[in-house]
Amino acid sequence: MSITLTKEKITATVKIITEYGGTGIFKCVQCGACSAVCPSIKAGFPVLCRLLIKKLLIGQLEEIIEEPSSWACQACCRCSEVCPQGVKPQEVVFAFRRFQANELAISTASTTSLIDLHATGHAAHTTTYRELRAGVGLPEQPPTTVSDAKGLQEVQTILENCLMGELGFY
Amino acid sequence: MVKYGLFLGCNIPFKAPDIEQSMRKVFPPLGVEPVDMVGASCCPAWGTAPSFDKGTWCALSCRNMAIAEELGVNIMTGCNSCFGILSEAKHFMHDPEVAEEAHELLAKAGRTYTGSADVYHITHVLHRDIGTEKIAAAVKFRQDGLTVAVQAGCHVLWPTDAMAIKEENPFFPHMLKDLVEATGASAPHYSRIEACCGMGGMRTTSVDKSMKILAAKLRSMKEEINPDLIVTGCSSCYMQFDQSQEQLRASGEIDFTIPVLYYTQFLALAMGFDPAQVAAISAMDRSALIAEIQNPARAVQEV
Repeated sequence: MSITLTKEKITATVKIITEYGGTGIFKCVQCGACSAVCPSIKAGFPVLCRLLIKKLLIGQLEEIIEEPSSWACQACCRCSEVCPQGVKPQEVVFAFRRFQANELAISTASTTSLIDLHATGHAAHTTTYRELRAGVGLPEQPPTTVSDAKGLQEVQTILENCLMGELGFY
Repeated sequence: MVKYGLFLGCNIPFKAPDIEQSMRKVFPPLGVEPVDMVGASCCPAWGTAPSFDKGTWCALSCRNMAIAEELGVNIMTGCNSCFGILSEAKHFMHDPEVAEEAHELLAKAGRTYTGSADVYHITHVLHRDIGTEKIAAAVKFRQDGLTVAVQAGCHVLWPTDAMAIKEENPFFPHMLKDLVEATGASAPHYSRIEACCGMGGMRTTSVDKSMKILAAKLRSMKEEINPDLIVTGCSSCYMQFDQSQEQLRASGEIDFTIPVLYYTQFLALAMGFDPAQVAAISAMDRSALIAEIQNPARAVQEV
């Protein structure tokens, strides 16, 4: 299957990625330094760094919206550290991930984390923590939003007034 | 005593509170007072706001940093993800567009962010402010003869442009090695010392792929330096090493297991604190290791 390149598609794709934070995408010369140090590519998620940027630069966006590789990005930023062109590939990966997320092409794990973040102020909340904490001699409640109503209210105010709030997760 | 706002995050206070307890125990005798950041939330984790919108990410991070600003302290955290998220948010606040959105959301929440609080990882505070000599002097059980595989964790190493303190070469990190060796143990280099453990988004997306790179890292440690234990500077790496080794052994990927401690747990044990408080929760049995760390024969003789 051949890919048809159109200026309109390329321009639209680059605009979306730039708006979501991948502002360095045009500086990429496809050298692949980023891919060489990426732990997620090593683990078997190929559409990251150089290859993802290539796809975006030829206007592939909707075509790869279900691609799971971007969700396996560890955000370690080895890529951005070694990039000789200042592309900051990790920011391009996250920009693409933001495009996916805002189109609701999102993993279920993220959905649960968002619900917990809104309900408790913590994305990785558990139900067994009080007992664990008491067992090691700590107060049952940490001094965070789980025990501070004002703090939790502030977090919820941010989450309800931001762009994410319109997506209906919480 | 120097005060630091102790940013807890999620995993440490909820899943590994013995790590939180170990941080609360080791710092005061070393001259650093951890101060509670009342009302702090999730940093927010990579899979949440940072995956949707930079402005929301920065608003939530800056709200946390604003709590430290009000207390007049810098921040230290034991979670590498929290460290990365907060450091990068602070960095992105130099972008006027992102900052505008974040400030607007913060104003709605009744908070102001000025950027006056620095963000540090606990290993930075231990390495720079306290120093290895003071740590060595506080150790009650010398760890000479123990071989440690160190795992600093990704987010404390990169991206260096967002950090106040950085390794000279993040691909050959040495801060955690220095801190471990302050106890008398040795922490030799191994070829995959900077490699990722596979936790985080990678594990959430595919456990199999995550385990594959964890196994490669473990084999590198075992074959090259045959360590008595792994010491991590990252609470997420800690959980990955602790919770996944038995599974890897059961599936035949490895034919050994190596007990693991978070750095302040290792230090707290070497400083003589009660294992029931500072190293009590783990999937792997590490009782023999803990007994060896606190072996009376290792006790430093008071002069």
